[in-house]
Amino acid sequence: MSASSHPSLVWRLLRRNISLPQLTGYTLANLVGLAIVLSALQFYRDVRSIWDAEDSLISRDYLIISKRVKGITIGTHSGEFTEEEIAELEQQPWLRSMGRFNAAGFRVGASLDLWGRGMSTALFLEAIPDSFYDVKPAMWKWEPTIGRDGEYPPVPIIISKDYLTLYNFGFAASRGYPQISEATIGELPLRLYLSGRGREMRLQGRIVGFSSRLNTFAVPESFLEWANAELADEPAQQPSRLILEVNTPGDPAIQRYLDEHSYESAGDKADTGRAAYFLSIATATVMSVGVIISILAFFILVLSIYLLIQKNRQKLRSLMMLGYSPSAVARQYYIIVGALNAIVLAGAVAAVLVARSCWGAALGEIGAESASPWVTIAVGVVIILVVTAGNMHVIRHEISKTFPRPRR
Amino acid sequence: MALISEITLEQTLPLVFAGMEQDLPVSASEVWLRDVSFRRGLNYMVEAESGTGKSSLCSFIYGSRGDYSGRILFDGTDISSLTVARWCELRSRSLAYLPQEMQLFGELTALENIEIKNRLTAHKSTDWILSALRRLEIEAKADVPACRLSVGQQQRVAIIRALCQPFDFLLIDEPVSHLDARNNGIVASLIAEEADAQGAAVIATSVGNKILLPFAQTLKL
Repeated sequence: MSASSHPSLVWRLLRRNISLPQLTGYTLANLVGLAIVLSALQFYRDVRSIWDAEDSLISRDYLIISKRVKGITIGTHSGEFTEEEIAELEQQPWLRSMGRFNAAGFRVGASLDLWGRGMSTALFLEAIPDSFYDVKPAMWKWEPTIGRDGEYPPVPIIISKDYLTLYNFGFAASRGYPQISEATIGELPLRLYLSGRGREMRLQGRIVGFSSRLNTFAVPESFLEWANAELADEPAQQPSRLILEVNTPGDPAIQRYLDEHSYESAGDKADTGRAAYFLSIATATVMSVGVIISILAFFILVLSIYLLIQKNRQKLRSLMMLGYSPSAVARQYYIIVGALNAIVLAGAVAAVLVARSCWGAALGEIGAESASPWVTIAVGVVIILVVTAGNMHVIRHEISKTFPRPRR
Repeated sequence: MALISEITLEQTLPLVFAGMEQDLPVSASEVWLRDVSFRRGLNYMVEAESGTGKSSLCSFIYGSRGDYSGRILFDGTDISSLTVARWCELRSRSLAYLPQEMQLFGELTALENIEIKNRLTAHKSTDWILSALRRLEIEAKADVPACRLSVGQQQRVAIIRALCQPFDFLLIDEPVSHLDARNNGIVASLIAEEADAQGAAVIATSVGNKILLPFAQTLKL
């Protein structure tokens, strides 16, 4: 028969000297600490959903940088990034990856037939590595193979969403041109005129996608390399714009680096990043406070257990003299600690759920979707398991010290 | 099957007697600094004067103290090498002990003090415990907290508690020091019955009032 089937007598002996105020103090303190930690975590996750739900690529992790233009510069290479500058950028700890904007080294013109109204313009083309696009059209590839009609295949082009908006609401409206949707623009016949090195080429173009991240006319790298080889007046230029994928959005080190080198980042993306960075810092601060309270509470309980075992030392020793094992007598204290920690966990989770319902409506109005509470609850369970294991270790250690055995 | 058949003391000496090996009482002792064996099935009386280390001897054998030089062996195994689990097993299945100070729990009743041991070992029935209380004439005290019992009554409760387990060796440290001759005889017959039934050994100590058992050997401490 094991000792577990008759805890009542042992329990009656060992419950003496249990300090209710101490245990209540521990429970409240740890409850407050854990509730703060878990609420901060849940709040962070809820707010992060604003960034995650949006096109995460624009707002968070990508920056497009160029050199600041000073005065008017013509025909110089002052706006280009040198290999040394690129190598130095690649050394930065906050950089995850980098892509170059390769520009066309030839002149480009385009004409569009809008239901009988012709429209032509000079144009520029750029290319970046495929992994940096936020859109991935199916037809995003190009090979220089001449088809049966004697022409090269149409060149796929991705343009900025802003350009279409600019056309529809600025240009078309004032000139009486038809407005175009994203779906119909791909159907329009676009002709590209490429010229350089005394040669001229005509190709079909097709707009296959709209990017919120890229402020350019982008073509596949394979096309640009081919066309540059055929037409470029001079060998490949250095890129004048770079796209950066960074580790921590809004890291002040990034802005400092850009300022020091007189680089500019496109749009307000850095500001969004800074907001995310601020959120991270605020959350970490609040969580630290919760963690400190929890750690203090942990020591209150350890101290309380320590005193309790000290006061009951003679009884514990007498029980073990009768043949009770250390784990059999420790079990009583495990139950106390387990019950208290279960109360703390339940209370903290309840507090998180209540707090979440308070801020949920406010966050919902600015577009946050509530993150699932299960991750937070799982974190709470893990924390409580670790705390309980720590408590049990102290109990076991203290009781083992009392076990009557010959120590030589 | 016996867990312990023989307990051997090899040149054992309490540390408090270190440096006094040539002096009395150590020089005249038949236990300290000797090689002594206690065998299962036999009864031993250890006679002592106060202050010669009688309770220390019991504590050393029961493993609750280790402040001695020399060795104590259970069937050839040095007891200082036994694990906690092994000690727990021996104390509930092989070594029974009545400490001189009894170590009853004052807030538990006489019966509960016995049950807290018996529930661990499940060795005796409640009927047996009640009949033992009746036989030792403390049945009326069964539900009285141990702190309110006289020393003689406590001694009898502790004796019944010590018998609530299988044992190869029963260590009884001055078991009848507070009992009259008649109660001494009653206690002795109960202990003899239990020890004989299990083929166990009894090691009893005394400073004068000996328990009335037939002893195979009497050792002067």
